[in-house]
Amino acid sequence: MTSSTLNVARPRITLEAPAAPLPSPVDPGPADAAPETPHVQAEQFSILYGEAMAVREISMVIPDRQVTAIIGPSGCGKSTFLRAINRMNDLIPCCHTTGRLLFDGQDIHSPQIDVISLRKRVGMVFQKPNPFPKSVFDNVAYGPRLFGIRNIRTLTEIVERSLSRAALWDEVKDRLAQNALGLSGGQQQRLCIARALAVEPDVLLMDEPTSALDPKSTARIEDLIAELRGDYTIVIVTHNMQQAARVSDFTAFLYEGVLIEFGQTRKLFTNPHNKQTEDYITGRFG
Amino acid sequence: MELSTRKTLDRAFSGTGMFSICLMTASLLVILLPVFAKGIKAFVFRETIENRKMILEQFHRGDSAALDIEWESARTARQPVYDAMQAFRIELDTLEGSRRRELRSSFREVESALQSLLGPEPGSTLSPLLRNRYGQTRWDRAQVKLQQVLFREAWDYSRPGEAGTRQWIPRKQTFAGTRLEPMFDHLETKLDSMLQPRWTFYWRFLSDDSRDSHLFGGIWPEVLGTLYLTIGAMLFAVPMGVIAAIYLTEYARPGRVVQILRTCISTLAGVPSIVFGLFGLAFFINTLQVSSSKSVLAGSMTLALLILPTIIRASEEAILAVPRTYKEAALSLGSGTWNMILTVLLPAALPGILTGIVISMGRAAGETAPIIFTAAVSVGKPLTLLQTLTQPTPALPWNIYNLATEHAAVEEIRHVQFGMVLTLVVMVLILNATAIAIRARIARRMKG
Amino acid sequence: MPDSRILNVSRDLVLSRRASQIQRLTSLLGRSFLFMVTSVSVLAVLFIIIFITRDAFPFFQIRGFREFFTSTHWFPSGNPPEFGALSIITGSALVAMGAAIVAVPLGVLAAVCLSDVLPFSLRQVAKPIIEILAAIPSVAYGFFALVIFAPALQEHGGIILTVCLWMLALPAALLAATVISDLVVAGIPTSRRPAMRGICWLTLVGGALFALVQGSGHLLDLTISSGTNALNVSIILGIMALPTVVSVSEDALQAVGRDLREGSYALGATRAETLVKTIIPAAASGIAAASILGIMRAVGETMVVWMASGNAAQIPTPWYNLLQPVRTLTATIAGDMGEADHVLGSARYHVLFAMALSLLLFSFGSNFVSEHIGRKFRSRQAGG
Ligand SMILES: Nc1ncnc2c1ncn2[C@@H]1O[C@H](COP(=O)(O)OP(=O)(O)OP(=O)(O)O)[C@@H](O)[C@H]1O
Ligand SMILES: [Mg+2]
Repeated sequence: MTSSTLNVARPRITLEAPAAPLPSPVDPGPADAAPETPHVQAEQFSILYGEAMAVREISMVIPDRQVTAIIGPSGCGKSTFLRAINRMNDLIPCCHTTGRLLFDGQDIHSPQIDVISLRKRVGMVFQKPNPFPKSVFDNVAYGPRLFGIRNIRTLTEIVERSLSRAALWDEVKDRLAQNALGLSGGQQQRLCIARALAVEPDVLLMDEPTSALDPKSTARIEDLIAELRGDYTIVIVTHNMQQAARVSDFTAFLYEGVLIEFGQTRKLFTNPHNKQTEDYITGRFG
Repeated sequence: MELSTRKTLDRAFSGTGMFSICLMTASLLVILLPVFAKGIKAFVFRETIENRKMILEQFHRGDSAALDIEWESARTARQPVYDAMQAFRIELDTLEGSRRRELRSSFREVESALQSLLGPEPGSTLSPLLRNRYGQTRWDRAQVKLQQVLFREAWDYSRPGEAGTRQWIPRKQTFAGTRLEPMFDHLETKLDSMLQPRWTFYWRFLSDDSRDSHLFGGIWPEVLGTLYLTIGAMLFAVPMGVIAAIYLTEYARPGRVVQILRTCISTLAGVPSIVFGLFGLAFFINTLQVSSSKSVLAGSMTLALLILPTIIRASEEAILAVPRTYKEAALSLGSGTWNMILTVLLPAALPGILTGIVISMGRAAGETAPIIFTAAVSVGKPLTLLQTLTQPTPALPWNIYNLATEHAAVEEIRHVQFGMVLTLVVMVLILNATAIAIRARIARRMKG
Repeated sequence: MPDSRILNVSRDLVLSRRASQIQRLTSLLGRSFLFMVTSVSVLAVLFIIIFITRDAFPFFQIRGFREFFTSTHWFPSGNPPEFGALSIITGSALVAMGAAIVAVPLGVLAAVCLSDVLPFSLRQVAKPIIEILAAIPSVAYGFFALVIFAPALQEHGGIILTVCLWMLALPAALLAATVISDLVVAGIPTSRRPAMRGICWLTLVGGALFALVQGSGHLLDLTISSGTNALNVSIILGIMALPTVVSVSEDALQAVGRDLREGSYALGATRAETLVKTIIPAAASGIAAASILGIMRAVGETMVVWMASGNAAQIPTPWYNLLQPVRTLTATIAGDMGEADHVLGSARYHVLFAMALSLLLFSFGSNFVSEHIGRKFRSRQAGG
């Protein structure tokens, strides 16, 4: 872990968390994982594109402040499910849902939900780094500004803190005013993470965050995820089995929209209950 | 077919393609070069002392002391001409009947040609028309006028069945033996000192009012009118066009309504510009009565309708070219749709939208047909901002037409016409160059 | 949960009923505002149709349809006035046809060249040239036609036409001779081929040259009584329509895609064969749409024809004689409105709206056709 490069502004809570490959010190387990109110919980939750069902009746509890990986073959509905958690699917006109997806005990898709507050609390990092064509500073400050922070001192503080948290501060502190598109791909992705952290979310969704990056940048992002574990609930979609094994505490395996298996990563990878899961993680299909 | 023939054909095919592109380039040059070469003469030319006098008296610029000195020497040079004419007038009365009649009419022509060359004879009463108060202000025009003093134009129809041929008969022959005869040689050799030509750069052509319907002065009312009309049209069309583009790209669900909207936009783009003019007259002026008759306001509105489709299409394209991920990133950070549009989408699409705006500005500036019935007049003063709501204005495109076809002295003011065309073309070219530059920058940014 | 929060925002996910009502209302208001602004173009089209028709209708009420479309007597200020617009409609059609003859072949060739022949760097130079051609105001074209081109045509028309003839016909004749002699010798034993080809080629070229010299003799004798005529206008309108034809057909050619090209090249076809036999047919409907748009531009153009067509309401004899002056619908509207304006309500005023209506219907029609063709083309491209 490269915590030596970090300039962490607040105390770490779960320092005892071991690094890769098999973390998870405590074993809440998905079934009995109901501490107070779980942040994200799906109950018979389905997503349809028009007539076609992309996610079928998923029920699961995503454990708080842990890293949950979603794996599965291409087209099995991973992104669709992930995007449902902060209602990014609203952008797709033909997309609708049945069942319940709860966040803090509220049904995310109920009409009373304020999408903006929801998205503020559920941040997202995308497959391809997508910083705005603005300066590094403006990128990170975009979220806080949305919520009315104009004071430049406060903004600077937030920007520094978020960039540090994303392990990027040392690299960009001298070029905050430069266009973010000038950063390398890996830096851009960490900038996007910093941007998402700047609005202080509770949940961080990552859709294949390293698939567009080289191995070295990938390793840095994985380190970063391990750093953030314990402070944020992280849901990460990945095609890379090793990555899922390295960074996640829990793993969910989706196949054709159905949740086949969900459990502690260690267990799932060493001793899967389900034949399909075994086939998939051993690379026999997908 | 043999291989060599196929290759020849292939090369010939490429050749014809190149040829057509070369032809296009050549026609562009053939059109633009004369406009530039002759248009520049409105700005850079040899001005005569008459021009300096006119500028001093009409526009109150120039050095009056220096002019006095020059004028003195010009007057000295001209004196023999007037002396000869005076002497001839006396002589004319002594001539016998038929010769006197013949010479008198010819002398009238000489007199009027001389007046237009050198200005009114000293001591004659001041004419209310400016064109009768000054001689030729430009040396090139003075040469033409000199020709008219020295020669008489005649048409020879002696060969039947063919078109007549033009002949120039020297007036010196006509007046041979009279006291006027030496005047012609004197005029030809001394015209220099009579008019004292000098090179000048008259950049104020752009900012001077015109006097005596463009015989003197510049084209400021037209330039200003064109600016008013263009900017007015943009004021209406840009917000409408950009908003429509935002609606079509971000809000509209594909369906029948959008289909109708798109069909109407492309239909609007195909309406002939003269029909826009008639519509502007029938709707904005006669029905809505935005102004009691032609006005800049009505013209701007008509032009705005004309360029609306262009702006909508350009903005739509620019907005669609913004990567979808920007939008998603902004929304995932908790931005509302409007906020996302204002802070991310529009800034990223701005260069593309600007390109469209700049190009349609050029179009609005150059369109004539829509403003004929809604905004343009031939002669007028520069308007104040408030007057644009109610008053018509001269404008470059309309006045180019008007001066080139309907003016009383079309030939005399060719330089003004070319100057106007040059100004308009340069305006449009600058706008298009801006658009090209913006686009190059976008392309570079996309790469980098 | 992250400690020491700076953002001091409500963490409530659920909106109060009031807030959600307000939110829904504002979003509805915003949407309908945007929709209303967007509908301005629909309204504009509707109002254009309504107002032009409203003022055109009285003319047909007073005079009926027959005279307008069948008579060539155009004496709107005569006593009694006559409103036969046939010659004017023919004039519009004639100059549009002339413009199409100039613009379509040139434009399509240039588009082919731009999309398939020129190297990238040259294309970057050629594109702005087309843009500038499109940007030059029509009144500047009209001024050029009237002040520079018309006198040149009047005085040196024969020479100009002869040069054009040679420039176009000589290369075409040489090519045709090559191809024909090639085809002729195709059935002959190989040993005698070159000699036969040479003889054949020489005869053909000789014949062509003879015809050309004859033709240019006729052209040189030509006297053009006035430079402001249909030919002048056709050429200038053709140049003006070029950018439209070029850019739209280039888009169509580009849309055909690489596969087809590579397929053809792989069979050993030359570039010309690939383009002529495969790409251009595939893009034909797009090119047709481009030509229609170009013709639309020529028909709708006002200033050039007003200034340089001679404005004589007559059908040239014979009808294709471009060297005679003509008068078009647009120029008539522009020219007569000034006089007809103060006789508002008279047939003389309304006849101009009747002309505008004809123009409008024509442009709607061709717009519809070109859209239809274009849509078919696009859907076929999308379908593979
Ligand atoms: N916008 C859309 N409209 C219609 N169907 C869609 C849309 N997006 C995705 N789908 C369908 O939904 C299913 C799930 O797609 P999704 O993108 O969630 O897969 P994924 O697991 O993320 O795949 P990958 O690993 O390739 O990213 C697929 O069958 C896909 O075709
Ligand atoms: Mg995906």
